[in-house]
Amino acid sequence: MTYCATNSTVYDMGNEVTFNKLELELRRGVVVLATLSQLRAPRYGYELRQALADRGMPIEEGTLYPLLRRLETQGVLKSEWKIEEGPPRRYYSLNADGRKLLKKLTDSWQGMNDAMGRLLKED
Amino acid sequence: MNANDLIDAYVADVAVQLPRRQRNDVAFELRALLGEELQAKSDVSGRGVDAAMARELLRDFGHPDVVAIRYRPVFTIIDPADGHHFFQAALIGLAVIWGLGALAQLQQPIESGSDLVLALGRWWGGTLISSLWWPGALVAWFATASWVRRRWPSTGEWQPRAKDRITGGRAALLMGMFGIVLGLCILFEPRGLLNLFWARGAAPAAVDALTYTEAFRQRQGTWLFVLLLLNIPIMVGVFIRGHWTPGLRRLDLALGLLVCAVMAWTVLDGPVFVTAVSDQTIKAVMLIIIVCALVARGIQYYRSVTPMPDTPVQAQGSH
Repeated sequence: MTYCATNSTVYDMGNEVTFNKLELELRRGVVVLATLSQLRAPRYGYELRQALADRGMPIEEGTLYPLLRRLETQGVLKSEWKIEEGPPRRYYSLNADGRKLLKKLTDSWQGMNDAMGRLLKED
Repeated sequence: MNANDLIDAYVADVAVQLPRRQRNDVAFELRALLGEELQAKSDVSGRGVDAAMARELLRDFGHPDVVAIRYRPVFTIIDPADGHHFFQAALIGLAVIWGLGALAQLQQPIESGSDLVLALGRWWGGTLISSLWWPGALVAWFATASWVRRRWPSTGEWQPRAKDRITGGRAALLMGMFGIVLGLCILFEPRGLLNLFWARGAAPAAVDALTYTEAFRQRQGTWLFVLLLLNIPIMVGVFIRGHWTPGLRRLDLALGLLVCAVMAWTVLDGPVFVTAVSDQTIKAVMLIIIVCALVARGIQYYRSVTPMPDTPVQAQGSH
């Protein structure tokens, strides 16, 4: 009995670990699109994280803040230091290339989303 | 350390790993963002900012090394696709180097425990430590290959290779046949080499060095000659067809293994040449040939692929 219970716990833990890994991979795939979607208007890091979380897409701060810099290095975001309320903050927004990229990624995402909808629909 | 000190230390550890031109800017931004995150955490929990809260925040944020990596584009020394090959080559190479080093130490007389410790010490210092050049060379090789593939992507494209192709083409096959004919001539009469280079006759010592014992000539020599000779029709067959056939492959394999067996018999049996030095040399060469041939066959077997299912295929409707 104990053996079965232990095995079952191990199996559940294994399943949980597998689920977490696969879910993380799914989320990784959409993090960039989600981020770009919220940068049509300038936002600073913390504000962007809040905006994403408010819309049901919480992204860890340790992932999001470096991502902004990487996207800027890749030439799809522009940024500048500004003081609006409180301390100076670096505001990020899409540049022309970023807007084009967002459009293409959105089309691609919608195509995949439709396909996945059809695939996952129960007969 | 209070909360601010912790954040400053964390930011410094991240920023120091970034390129100098963006280091200060990222540090300034990251410190401000962490300050805001900490304040938000304090607001949610309803207690003031303290060191424990800051530690928790920074732990969740990630190790500074990991966060610093996220700020930079991915830097790969060895392509993930090469990881397995690198590991395999490193492991096999080290095993060979360590094995040869151990063999060299075993040549020395080991008569007591202290001799063994000394031999181990020599093996450790002379072989084990110095063998690290091998993984280092492999890193340099794979890193260069990875760079070349990124720089000129067309070089990394897959090229189909027919399973039955002749390695090196017909030219290589011709050269192989020439080599076997030469080998047969030497096997038949090695002293012929001397006549080739010294028309007036070589020194008697040189002639002795290349004189077979009668026992070898009558036993293994004949077998080796016949087996080597049999390679010629196989190679001619491959040359005419322009590719290997399964039957010719099997014949080649069988012949190769037979040659190895006869060479092993030669090494273990009596002398090949009448002089001891020549005899030891030819036996050492034969041993090397046997090992290389068997390793090559082993690699061939290991790399062979026969598409077939792991479990029996059930016909639809049957149970």
